[in-house]
Amino acid sequence: MVLTKNEAAAALADIQETTRRGATLRGYRIGGPILMLWSVVWALGYLGMGLLPSHQWGWVWLVLDTIGAIGSILLARPADKATRAAGMKSQGNSLKMMGGMAVAIVFVMSTFYVLRPTDPAAYLAFPGLMVGAIYAAVGVFVAGRYLGIGAVMFALTLVGFYAFPEILAFWMASASVALFVSGVWLARA
Amino acid sequence: MAQADDLIHQPLRLKIMAALYAERDGEPPEFSRLKAITQATDGNLGSHLTALEKAGYVEILKDHVGKRPRTRAKVTADGAKAFRGHVAYLRELVEGID
Repeated sequence: MVLTKNEAAAALADIQETTRRGATLRGYRIGGPILMLWSVVWALGYLGMGLLPSHQWGWVWLVLDTIGAIGSILLARPADKATRAAGMKSQGNSLKMMGGMAVAIVFVMSTFYVLRPTDPAAYLAFPGLMVGAIYAAVGVFVAGRYLGIGAVMFALTLVGFYAFPEILAFWMASASVALFVSGVWLARA
Repeated sequence: MAQADDLIHQPLRLKIMAALYAERDGEPPEFSRLKAITQATDGNLGSHLTALEKAGYVEILKDHVGKRPRTRAKVTADGAKAFRGHVAYLRELVEGID
């Protein structure tokens, strides 16, 4: 068999695209259960905000975020193991995940500290908007399905903020169902 | 110089081998997942998998999960070696190495 340089380049591009598509689907399968876990964290956190006085909100989220972070690392472990078993250098995904979460938490707290919102609804809506924006950005740059998930979270947060401000915490807690369904959607990819 | 592999070079077989090679140390992918990765139809994927299996490049694993039949595919050691050789050939060609 004799191939031209162009045919060889096209075949290599096909291999690269197939490998990328496989990695994206694998990523969805790992990300799905993690998203389901965070939907539970989200629901409990917002229920806490709806039921507890505001000075306790920070502690509620600190405990829940810690549980979520540990759970995410445990759920991502099979992927790290597979990476090592494949003889590839482990890219420290767990550390990256921890770093990403820490950045998000510090960003939210700093924003509240700087802007000092007087409307409690702003405290409830801002994390939802930020999570929606992060997922949408991941969707644009890495894996398309996250764009839809981010858009839904962003839209649900805005709908709750403008349409149901009195029950926003409970609205946000119920929006976690959308996150859970998104997790199932990813896990079945 | 590395040698081309006529059997692997067919476009869909190349995609199948690329997908299975990437998963060689993990859980063998199910037929439906392989279909999504390679964007092939059921019939096409089945016939090319059979061709690769006959060549000894792929192993087809059939079992049941509960009552649901499951078909998975796994690249063999010979298949992995042939794929690496073919990729090396393609690279040499692109880079202009004689």
